Amino acid sequence: MGLGFTVGVIGVLILGHAAYSTIQYRSLLKITEEEFSGPPMEVVLELLVGLLFCMWAALTVPGKFLSVHPHSDENRVVSLPENVDFMIFNHRGRAFPSEVGLKLKH
Amino acid sequence: MAVGHGDSSSSDKKSTDALNDLQTFNAENLQSNMKVIYYSRTFLSIIGGVIAGILGFKGLIGFVFYFLVMAITSAALTAKAKFSIHSYFDTWNRVLLDGFFGGLMSFVLFWTFAYDIVHIF
Repeated sequence: MGLGFTVGVIGVLILGHAAYSTIQYRSLLKITEEEFSGPPMEVVLELLVGLLFCMWAALTVPGKFLSVHPHSDENRVVSLPENVDFMIFNHRGRAFPSEVGLKLKH
Repeated sequence: MAVGHGDSSSSDKKSTDALNDLQTFNAENLQSNMKVIYYSRTFLSIIGGVIAGILGFKGLIGFVFYFLVMAITSAALTAKAKFSIHSYFDTWNRVLLDGFFGGLMSFVLFWTFAYDIVHIF
């Protein structure tokens, strides 16, 4: 999970860098007084790479898919529920003398 | 020790038909899978919004871009589930449509946000 998170952060940083380049490109266009038709090709490539990194992170970081099948091997129920029917109270502990006036010792 | 098939608290099984295996499923794992899809879709909607803002999309083409990103996400999630949807979910609709409109809101928010930062200020 650490690697996926790092890849996601790198993807977001690439997007931030692409945004900054686009801002600089626009200010350049304002100087030369041209119309903004689209960002330059390098920025488009950078956005695509950032999108791929983020996509990989979005699929890896949240976790794996767990099987929904009730009878598959990884879904075995191996713990008994807290059922009073299986609790035994008739054991040797009843041989100990029990004091009725017991107080908590500090 | 016998493994209890009776009322077990960890896996809620739905329905009582023992023959029809698709009816009974482990709901706790299903919920966990739904959370995974939700996180993936939300994150990719936000990233898609930022990219649409940087590219300067205006109007309908931005929404077309959102549908494209969501379609790619659905394909990627299906690939992550190794193409056997029925062993991780109960219906196809969950993988394809869940979180679609919630993601749309996040997409539009970050689209306007990024567009304003890059193109207006």
